[in-house]
Parts: sequence; structure tokens; C-alpha cells
Amino acid sequence: MPSRRRTLLKVIILGDSGVGKTSLMNQYVNKKFSNQYKATIGADFLTKEVQFEDRLFTLQIWDTAGQERFQSLGVAFYRGADCCVLVYDVNSMKSFDNLNNWREEFLIQASPSDPENFPFVVLGNKVDVDGGNSRVVSEKKARAWCASKGNIPYFETSAKEGINVEEAFQCIAKNALKSGEEEEIYLPDTIDVGTSSQPRSTGCEC
Amino acid sequence: MIAGGIEDEEKWLAAGIAGLQQNAFYMHRALDSNNLRDALKYSAQMLSELRTSKLSPHKYYELYMRAFDELRKLEMFFKEEARRGCSIIDLYELVQHAGNILPRLYLLCTVGSVYIKSKEAPAKDVLKDLVEMCRGIQHPVRGLFLRSYLSQVSRDKLPDIGSEYEGDADTVVDAVEFVLQNFTEMNKLWVRMQHQGPARDKEKREKERSELRDLVGKNLHVLSQIEGVDLDMYKDTVLPRVLEQVVNCKDEIAQFYLMDCIIQVFPDEYHLQTLEILLGACPQLQPSVDIKTVLSRLMERLSNYAASSTEVLPEFLQVEAFSKLNNAIGKVIEAQVDMPIFGAVTLYSSLLKFTLHVHPDRLDYADQVLGACVKKLSSRGKLDDSKATKQIVALLSAPLEKYNDIVTALKLSNYPRVMEYLDIETNKIMATVIIQSIMKNNTRISTADKVEALFELMKGLIKDLDGAEEEVDEDDFKEEQNSVARLIQMLYNDDLEEMFQIISTVKKHVMTGGPKRLPFTVPPLVFSSLKLVRRLQGSQEQEENPFGDEGSTSPKKIFQLLNQTIEALSIVPAPELALRLFLQCAEAANDCDLEPVAYEFFTQAYILYEEEVSDSKAQVTALHLVIGTLQRMHVFGVENRDTLTHKATGYSAKLLKKPDQCRAVYGCAHLFWVEDQDNLKDGERVLICLKRALRIANAAQQMSNAARGNTGSVSLFIEILNKYLYFFEKGNPQITVATIQGLIELITTEMQSDNSTPDPAADAFLASTLRYIQFQKQKGGAIGEKYEPIKA
Repeated sequence: MPSRRRTLLKVIILGDSGVGKTSLMNQYVNKKFSNQYKATIGADFLTKEVQFEDRLFTLQIWDTAGQERFQSLGVAFYRGADCCVLVYDVNSMKSFDNLNNWREEFLIQASPSDPENFPFVVLGNKVDVDGGNSRVVSEKKARAWCASKGNIPYFETSAKEGINVEEAFQCIAKNALKSGEEEEIYLPDTIDVGTSSQPRSTGCEC
Repeated sequence: MIAGGIEDEEKWLAAGIAGLQQNAFYMHRALDSNNLRDALKYSAQMLSELRTSKLSPHKYYELYMRAFDELRKLEMFFKEEARRGCSIIDLYELVQHAGNILPRLYLLCTVGSVYIKSKEAPAKDVLKDLVEMCRGIQHPVRGLFLRSYLSQVSRDKLPDIGSEYEGDADTVVDAVEFVLQNFTEMNKLWVRMQHQGPARDKEKREKERSELRDLVGKNLHVLSQIEGVDLDMYKDTVLPRVLEQVVNCKDEIAQFYLMDCIIQVFPDEYHLQTLEILLGACPQLQPSVDIKTVLSRLMERLSNYAASSTEVLPEFLQVEAFSKLNNAIGKVIEAQVDMPIFGAVTLYSSLLKFTLHVHPDRLDYADQVLGACVKKLSSRGKLDDSKATKQIVALLSAPLEKYNDIVTALKLSNYPRVMEYLDIETNKIMATVIIQSIMKNNTRISTADKVEALFELMKGLIKDLDGAEEEVDEDDFKEEQNSVARLIQMLYNDDLEEMFQIISTVKKHVMTGGPKRLPFTVPPLVFSSLKLVRRLQGSQEQEENPFGDEGSTSPKKIFQLLNQTIEALSIVPAPELALRLFLQCAEAANDCDLEPVAYEFFTQAYILYEEEVSDSKAQVTALHLVIGTLQRMHVFGVENRDTLTHKATGYSAKLLKKPDQCRAVYGCAHLFWVEDQDNLKDGERVLICLKRALRIANAAQQMSNAARGNTGSVSLFIEILNKYLYFFEKGNPQITVATIQGLIELITTEMQSDNSTPDPAADAFLASTLRYIQFQKQKGGAIGEKYEPIKA
């Protein structure tokens, strides 16, 4: 059924502080970039309408605080995510090493029904910095890690220059859509027989 | 009680979720059948679950997120309704019929967001209406979540610059106004929470408040993201309004957290340009607020910013960032009398890092910071607080990390004064850090003054300080002393005079080290001095007597110093080490043609041998060193040489074990036959030594036969045979074919006799010796002729 739910795709962006999560979201949604570093507090989302295979979807993109001390309420917003984007800075080995922690933390907290096949996308951001001279994580290394985690799609991006951002989010949307995550089916204890037919009736009764 | 509380909470949450899901189910059905009335009815019932007061913020957040997700569906339905021609204004009116205020306001915010999107009314009016209406909820948790919902749904509909909601009447000012107002209300709710409920629940309340903090702080994040909040607006409106709230709320938790938020969410350029305003707020905060962490984080941020690009440095200079921060820190430390010492040191440490990054050329600034730190420390005496000492190490390491050069740090007059306040352990840690920095960067410490300052700094490693605990880990001690030894080897100057001064300075310090350190520190000092002796030799050969005058460096002077240095080892005592070093010096004196000096060193070595070296194995080793060294000496006249040789042979005969005696005695044979010196070829005395060795070998064999009948000593004979062959080949006329022949026969008989046990090693040794003879024969020429008569 083309339920109302499937037109909304929820995406969570995770990664260390300062890797450019907010900038990637802003570049994608608003086509804007600022060089200034501004920490994110709590969780914040922006939405964007995307056209995919002749259908219109709303991407709900959650940007999160990379610094733990600005995540005081926990991560209840992970619930119902359709895709998780892991971001690191190609100029920081530590941010790359931490991808594993972010991935595992997400799988534990969001507990998707099929963790093996839950869609992740990895973005290696800031490829523009210093013309690539200060880069410390090679593309090969990043791709090897992605391959070892079940062939996670990988993109090298620059939020500043807008490199690959559109492509990456296209892929994110596609994977979110393919995600097997269905909302838990709820059946009420008592059914009001007075109203219309089956509890699971669909839009085709008109 | 507590466990029960958590369990109950789980139950309440489960009940809340169940209620929410059931109503959401009916809401979905209503949405699917486009039944607006039912959709509103069930969504209001669903939202009633958020009226609970029984959940902690964490659990409430879970429930809220579920409602939040459901409301997105409702929002989409509203959009479709609007598209189908339903008046959004009517919808806005309609949802206000919900019976309870909390569901009513959630629905209102949801419709409001669609309302703004429809552009049927100016965004600012709708936002203003919503933010006012939310005043209806005064319960802190419910109010904070409701307002955070408002903040989230309006997030992309603010009329900031470039936004589609920006209009003639709607400007970024309205956007800022809306967020500031929401922030103010939320902060009030949050702070008020502290004063609600019984005093005994204070701790629990503080925990809950802490969980809720991000809801308030997020408004600042939203402000920082608004397009069009330029420096002027930040300086004139945003920062003063936010700080006003922060200062006036007089709440410790809120003040600390919000100051941290301001520093983190707004860009560095803004902080630099508004430093005065930001720092000005600090003294107005509650005395219990942890200002040192706030300021440290600010300086850390600015330091990183300065380090990011040299292009930004002029900004720092233009606003005189250093003096402003320096002043602010001084005021804070002065005002907060109860601030623990580690807090003050943390602040100085952050400020020092800041100035090192921003003003690498201003050593006076760095020294000023250290000076202020000394002043603060001077009121306390030595530090014993581990947190504070850790900070001091960070403080003192910062200049090393920045300049990669201790020499620069040594220019800071207050640097050693800060070190004075370290306890012994920390002084050692710091000294090790300094040495590591020198090693890593290959720093050249090239004057005696610098060496003096450096050793003064690391005196914790150089000598026992007052009150030092005796319990030091053996391995740690070795490691730290080895690093001192490496350091000594690294001190160098091309100028010979200065180098001598360096060595004298090192000696002065090293001599205070006491018996445990001297064995580590004396050898490198000795070898470093000997290197200088060699360099002096080299330069003397080039120029004629440049060290004629009394005052300047000469090998003699260095040897004097070395004699005293090595003598110091007697207090350890370390006679074997001292003996080795004396011999090294003797050889060096030999190379300088200083006979009396060389003789003196030998005498010193002999005295040690006679009086201090008592272990028999140590005696054997020492004696072979003596013989080897003496053999190489060419500086001695006949008389001196005779005396020393005589002594050495005498010692050899007095060794404890016969085989050791035998080997030492045949070793002494070399003392009478030196290849490159014609006046030192005394064949007769060589033969006397070898014969004596033979007699001892005989005696040894008889002893072992008597004891057990084994033949440990046959290999001694083969060794002696080899010596005979050596001197025979070198042309000693006293060694004849007959003596060699006799010795070979003696050995062969001995090995074939009945009471000998087989000894494969001796067999092999003999076989290869005979093979050698055979080989020499086959060479032909003079050598072959010489060997020809020997029958093997």
C-alpha cells in the first residue's frame, strides 16, 4: 500500500565533532556554506522534498551534536530512522577511527529490525582542504572499511565546494527508500465495530 | 525505593505509549478516510498522553518523539487539506476547540507551521501568536518540550535573510526576536524548576534539569544558524539579550551551561570582536559557577582558531585579545578566593597556550603568564594536589611543544620559578619531558650558561632533593638516569674553550648525584671529556701550541678533572667501573704523550685492583683489561714500563684459580713483545712467561687428576702452544722448532693416555691448530720455510 508513512524518509547524520555534519546538511538543503565552526546542540532537523522514480518524498534530515556534552537528552530521535549517514573528516584519522563506534552505537540505540542490512552511507568530508595535501585517510582505506561492513556506499564530499553532496544525498534517499524498516504494526485491543470495515483497511475503499 | 521508582516509570511509559499508539491508530484511519473531525479528535487524545507528570525527562522524551512522528503525518494531512481548498485560517481556529490546553497547543503549532508555509499570513505574526500562546503551559517539563516542538517546526520557516518567508514586513529581526523570546521563556521554565518541589529531592531535580539543558541550549544553536545575524546584530542584540538572561537568572547550572553554549555555537570571529562583552559577564555570574572551565574552553577555541591559519592572527592583535583575556583571568582569580589552586593553574595554562599560538614571537607575554602563575603559587608553597601538578606539567610543556626547543623556554625567566613549586615526583616528570623534547628535536645546548640553567631545571633527576622518598622503582630510576646520560652526550660546542666550560658545569652538577646516580652519569661525562681531549689533540697538531697560556683549556686540565671525577666513584663504590675508566684515560693520556699522567692513571687502576676488586671473576676481567691496555702504551720509559709490567705479571700469578693464572701469565708474554716497537722485543722474557704458564698448566693438571681424573686443562696446553706459534712466527729467536715439537708431543700423549676422558672440544682445537701449521707450511716462501721442520 502506498501508505502515508512511506513518503517521509528519516535520515540521521552522525560523526565526530567538527567533521561537517551541519555544513553537509546546509549545503544540501539550503545550498549554503559557512566556514565558521558552530557547534550543534541536541538534535535538529531540516526537511527537503525529493523526487524519486516519479514520486515525491520528504527527506527528514537529522543533524546531531558531535560533542557528547550537548546530547543530554539521549538519542530517542534515532527511532524509526530509514538510513544513517556516518561522516568523518578525511584530514582527521581519529574521526575516521570513530566511525565504528558511531555505527555500533546507532545499531544498539536504534535497534533496527534487521541490523545486518540496515542502510548506512559513509561520507569522507572536507576533501577540499589544502588542496588535499593535509589529507590523512586515504580513499582506499575508507573504502576497505566500508566494504568490510557490508558494502556501505561511500562518497568523498566537500560541503564547502558542494562536491558530491547532491550525489551522496541521492544515494542516501534511495537507500532509505529501499530500507526494509516498516513501522511496527499496531492493532488496538478493542475494535470499534461501529466505524468502517477492517482495522488494516487501506486507501482503496473509496 | 529507587528501583521501584524506575520500574514504575517503565510501566508508566509503557502505558503512555499504548495510549498514544491506540489513538494514533484511529487518527491514521481518520487521515486515510479524510475525516478531519476524527483526525483532530484522536490526535488530541493521543497528545493527552504528554500531559503526564510521572516521567523523567529521558522517558518523557521517548514519548514525545513518538508523538512528534505522528504529528508529521497530521501535518502532511493538513497540507493536503489546504491544497484541497480547506481554509488554513479555519483550521487554525478549529484546532483550538481541543479540550485540554497541552494537546491544543501542540495542534496549534502544527497547523501554525502549515499556516506559515501557505503564506496566507506573515510568518512573524503567526510565530508571535504561537510563542505567546505557549505561555499557557507553565509546568517546566511539559512547557520545555512544547516550546522545543515549536522551535523545531518553525525551524525552517523563520523569515531570515534569503528565506522564502522573508518579506517587506518580515525580516531577520523578527526571526531573531521570535527565537530570543522562546529562549527566554524556556530558560525561565528551566530555572524555575529548581525551586519547585521539596528540598530533599534537590539532587534528583538537578539531574533532571541537567537532562533538559539541551532543549534550552538548542535555541542558541538556532540563533547561530539564522542567516543574517551578522556581527553587528550579534554584538548589539543577540549577545546582550542572551547574556542578560544568563546573568539575571542567577542560577549556577544555567549560567555555566549557557556560557559554554554561547562559546561553542557562535563563531570565533564573533567572540574575538565581542570579547569585552563576553568576559565582562563573567564576574557577574554566581560565585559557584565553574568559570575556569568556561574560560579555558573559550581560550582553547580561540587557540585552535589562531592555529588554523596565520591570516586570522591580525584579528587577535587588533582587538588586543591577550591583554583582555589576561585581565579577565586576573579578575576572576582575584574574585574567586575559594578557587582551588588547580583551577588557577588551569586558567594560566590555557592562557599560555593561547598566547603561544597567537603571539609566538612575544616571549614576554608567555613569561608574564608564568610570572602571574608564580605569584599565585607563592602564596601556597609546594604543590601536593595531583590535579594541580598535572596542570603545571601541561603549563610547562606548552612552550616546549610550541617551540620544540628548550633553549627558547630557558629564556623565560619565570619558567624555573614555576618549577620550584613542583613536588619531587612532578619535578622529575617535567625533567623527563624536557629531556625527551631535547632528544626528539636534537636540540643543541651549546653554552655553559644554558647547561647550568638546564641542569638547575632538572635537578630532580640530578640529585636527591630534600624530603625525597626512598621508594623509587628500580627500572624507572634506571630509565631516567639513562636519559640523563644521553643528554650529557648531546651537549656540544665547536669552541673548545666553551666545551670545557660545559663539561666543568656538568661535572659540578653530576658530582652532587650521590652513589646511586654516579655509575650512570660519570661514564658519559668521562667519554664526553675524552672526545674533547681528542679534539684538542687534533687542533694542536694543526696549529703550533695555541694553548700556551695557563688559563686556557689543555688536555692536562681535562685529565685532572677526569681524575677527580672517576675518584668520586669510590663512594659508590664501583671499583670495576672506575678501573675501566682509569684505563680509558691512561690510553688517552698515552695518545697525548703525557707519560706522568698516564702513569698516574695506571697507578690509580692498580690501587683499585689491589684494594677494592675482590671477586675472583672480577679480578680476571680487570687484569686482562690492564694487560691489554698496558700492551698498547708506548709513552712509558723503560723504568715506568718495567714497574707496571712487573706488577701485572705479579697479579697474574696470584689469581685464585690455576687456569686463570695460566691464561693471565701467557697474556703477560705480550707485554714484552710489541710489534711496532723495536725496543720492546724481549724474547727471553717472553719465553720465561710461556714456560711459567706451562708450569702452571702442569700443576693445574696434576691437581685435577688427583681430584677426579678428568682433563680440563689439556686445552690450556693447546692455548699455550698457540702462543708459542704466534711468537715463533713473529721471529722470537727464543722459540725454537724443538720446543714446539716437544709441546705437540706432550699434548698428543696426554690426550691418548688411559686416564683421560674424551674431550671433543680439545680434540677439535688441537686438530685446527695442527691444520694451521700444515697450512703455513704449504704457503711456501719464508713462512713455509720456517714451519717446514715442524712435524705435526
